[in-house]
Amino acid sequence: MRTTRRELLAGAAAAAAPLGAALPLPAYAQARPLRVGILAPRAGVAGTVGEVGLKGVEFAVEKLNAAGGVAGRRVELVIEEETNPRETVERARRLALQERVDVIQGVVSSGVSLALGPALEESRILTVFWDGTTQDGVNETMPRPRWVFRSTDNECEAVMGSLMAIKHFRGQFLTVAGINPDYSYGRNNWAAFLALLRRFNIEHRVVTEQWPRVGGMDLTANVAALKAANPDLVFSSLLFADLPVFMRQAHAAGLLEGRKWVFPAAGFQHTALKKEFTPPGMVFGHNTLYFADPQATPLAREFVQWYHERTRDWPHWEADRAFFAMEVWRRGVEKAVQAKGGGAWPSNAEIAEAIRGIEVVSLGGPGRMRPDGVAEQTFIQGLTVHDPRYDFPILGPDRITRMDGRQLQKGPGQDFWRWIAEARFDL
Amino acid sequence: MAALIEVLAAGLFHAAVLFLVAAGLQLVFGVQRILNLACGSFYALGAYLGVTAGGLALGAGLSPLLALPLLVLAGAAVAALGPPVERLLRLVYDRDESFQLLLTFALVLMFQDLIRMGWGSQPQQVEGVYLAYGQVQLGAARIPVWNLLVLAAAIAIAGGLGLFLQRTDFGRILRATAENRRMAASLGVDTGRVYAAVFTLGTALGGIGGALVVPAAAAVPEKAVELVVEAFAVVVIGGLGSMPGALAGAAIVGLLRAGALLVWPELELLAVYAVVVAVLLLRPAGLFGRPAA
Amino acid sequence: MRGGALLAALAAVAALAAAPPLLGEYRTTLLLPVFGYGVALLGLNLLFGYGGLVSFGHAMFVAAGAYAAAVVTGVWRIESFEAVLLAAAAAGLALALPVGALCARYTKIFFGMLTLAFGMLFHSFLFKFYGLTGGDQGMRVRRPTLLGLEFEELDKTAFLVGPYYWYCLAVAALLALLMWRIVRSPFGLALRAQRDNPRKAEYLGVEVRRTRFVAFLVSAAFGAVGGAMLAVPTGLADPELAYWTHSGTLVFMTLLGGFAHFAGPLLGALAYVLLQDWLMSLTPYWRLLLGAVLALIVLACPQGLMGLPALLRARLAARRRRAAAPHPAPAE
Repeated sequence: MRTTRRELLAGAAAAAAPLGAALPLPAYAQARPLRVGILAPRAGVAGTVGEVGLKGVEFAVEKLNAAGGVAGRRVELVIEEETNPRETVERARRLALQERVDVIQGVVSSGVSLALGPALEESRILTVFWDGTTQDGVNETMPRPRWVFRSTDNECEAVMGSLMAIKHFRGQFLTVAGINPDYSYGRNNWAAFLALLRRFNIEHRVVTEQWPRVGGMDLTANVAALKAANPDLVFSSLLFADLPVFMRQAHAAGLLEGRKWVFPAAGFQHTALKKEFTPPGMVFGHNTLYFADPQATPLAREFVQWYHERTRDWPHWEADRAFFAMEVWRRGVEKAVQAKGGGAWPSNAEIAEAIRGIEVVSLGGPGRMRPDGVAEQTFIQGLTVHDPRYDFPILGPDRITRMDGRQLQKGPGQDFWRWIAEARFDL
Repeated sequence: MAALIEVLAAGLFHAAVLFLVAAGLQLVFGVQRILNLACGSFYALGAYLGVTAGGLALGAGLSPLLALPLLVLAGAAVAALGPPVERLLRLVYDRDESFQLLLTFALVLMFQDLIRMGWGSQPQQVEGVYLAYGQVQLGAARIPVWNLLVLAAAIAIAGGLGLFLQRTDFGRILRATAENRRMAASLGVDTGRVYAAVFTLGTALGGIGGALVVPAAAAVPEKAVELVVEAFAVVVIGGLGSMPGALAGAAIVGLLRAGALLVWPELELLAVYAVVVAVLLLRPAGLFGRPAA
Repeated sequence: MRGGALLAALAAVAALAAAPPLLGEYRTTLLLPVFGYGVALLGLNLLFGYGGLVSFGHAMFVAAGAYAAAVVTGVWRIESFEAVLLAAAAAGLALALPVGALCARYTKIFFGMLTLAFGMLFHSFLFKFYGLTGGDQGMRVRRPTLLGLEFEELDKTAFLVGPYYWYCLAVAALLALLMWRIVRSPFGLALRAQRDNPRKAEYLGVEVRRTRFVAFLVSAAFGAVGGAMLAVPTGLADPELAYWTHSGTLVFMTLLGGFAHFAGPLLGALAYVLLQDWLMSLTPYWRLLLGAVLALIVLACPQGLMGLPALLRARLAARRRRAAAPHPAPAE
């Protein structure tokens, strides 16, 4: 027992060493650990997503503390629950003003990040979001924040899913239908898909648009309505538990057969989509982390194993987002400390400056923080196959597409619709 | 035609589940005059017990075809909570209705976390039941057998409840207590026992609704607060305290939703609320309710 | 008695006004929702405590006020907070006119249920009319000016714990004074009369339905103003504000403070905010504990915190009586 534990720790230290050893850092004898405040949902539809994100944080902190902390200082976590916007803004103030954390990370829901972004920016609190957005629809509400760093945007998976649909299914469909969750995320996904069909001059006819409530769970009537509309291709950004429920009901009603399916956000529930009701050949989005990625880094492989040992499940992208946020901040701190040359500890303003433009390798692949404070990460989508090792579909190893956020996200200050109309897309 | 049959079937499936929850709500309100906000919590609990029982039984090699009776039992097990919760509510029977409402709201808050402590926040599903029952083909229409079974179970329960209330002695006692508690008590009815029995039956109905729907859906904690709203729409349309009202209200809400999704999906929820408001304006006591004092 | 109450109120306002430097930034920001909720709850309690009507949809007015703040500051780009408060009151009234006209016909459980249904109708309107309301993402509320002053040099925290804090304290105090006048007016008397015995009140010439309706309107306006005050620190108006559980929480707060006392809702807002802050930092299962607290109040202390001294005194007196009773205490 003891040896196993020591081996594990040694392994962890060895794996983390290259990250820390690259920079000769001045030793900080400061006793006070760095405090990282985390805001993550623990209940509600996004509760499960929050738990996976917290696992990503736990792994990241275990690693960096084993390697001696951030620039010589240990990291400790203060975790608060992300609930509705109003309460979460209060929780964030608590983290900053009462717990005196050095940075806030977290947030999954767009509604919360939209409220939290401006509140934290105006209060000058260093923050790195996991997910969510500060876009109102597709219009940025915070063009150049100084303190708040935002996640790679939701529009990425929508754009990539649409491109994948065009790449794999062009010429095989005329009528299209959408079943997307009834909130801005679903609306934006569907709008982006239609915009890209127009961009590539693909003749199509929309036969129905279904907007089930998030967490509504009873989708039999939506399935019946979709079947009545009889589309050739269905685009669906359903996520959370609604997706497996939809798939099972769709399979039972015979909706799945003979149609093309595009699921840009399915990765959140990938292990719940059992093979018995999830066919091969669908476009399936794993966002920024695919657990069985053949090109995964050793660190990512280690994380997937670590996660599997603890939960008997396979992780999804929120773990990567959380890891990425921690990594970006860690590297920013170390860069700022370096720049100070061993004098005083850098201020949060200096750390925020250092984070801009920083490049890191996250669990899902390389990524960077754009100078305007928006992350760009690697996205993975592909066509599903049934593999005997898993009871849910995985991506066909030869049908995986990997795209950099640069190709999927509009540039700083750009209008989304114009960008879609003018950008160069490589299929 | 095939599409119409499928939409109809989907609407009725939804209605069946709504009916079970609303029937529990009506029963408790009809007799005890308590509007139970925790009705959704019993439904959610039924769903989780269904997940656990289903998982254990299938894991032990039980044929999935026996899942229906098993899930009914698992859902009915929620009834075990009936007596203690009724015992708690008994403390406020003589108090203002607002306190009764608030006490059930306290139960909603507590059950939400108790469920989370027991099952976590991850959505839970029963694998291998829903599809094992197969589908029936009606012309070009294809309907999952499970949906039909749930519908049949709800109809059977509705019929059984009707017979029970109209034809049995206990049913008569129950109706007498609902009519006039003091009178019933003076005639020698142990109203305390009647209340406990009614509340327990009400929780069982909600629990069965939750357990029956779970193979087709998934158990999530937040369903507890969402379902309350739909159940209320049903009882407002049907009339508070009326059993036929629960049946009619559930059918209206279920079919209306399914129809709206076919014709104009954006109107799904608003159509239901529009009917609720219309009923309130034209027939404030609901379709089957007696006018409010 | 009256002078005593006035003195206590003045002392409370003075203490709150002097509090920020002593409390520090975080605890001061914690008091901001207390003012917003306090105002909203004063309105709710006009129906609940004075009118005997429990609304389970009052959060819709809080939401209406928050969205009014978003429209005024975000869409119309009018930054004056005075304009925001007026617009919020107007929005609350506009919404309450049809809803109140329908709900005032009912009392008790029917009233509670109807208000819940309308609250959820409003919630689904906010949620569904995406183009108008931003759907789930809600609408941004920009930082307002106070009495025409911009306070440009202050960051948001400094603005909130400084000028905004005192401004909200003043608004809450003024509205509390206004509500005090309302409940002491003949109208307030009529409202209480219809609560205690609607038929008798009718005989005495009280137009019961109209009284309820007017109370509903006033209560909605207070709710909306409170909602606007809440929206500025959050910076967002979102549909969750109108969800029925939020309405339940509002009633919970009122009960916690004590619905039978004028100051109960204010104390309730304070106690709830502090309680939730404490429980949330204690455990992820804070809803369970909140529910337990609510159940405990309903069962053991229905008069809330305001009623606690009287309850304890009664208990103590009962014990003393028992102690003084002839039969001897058991030996140790």
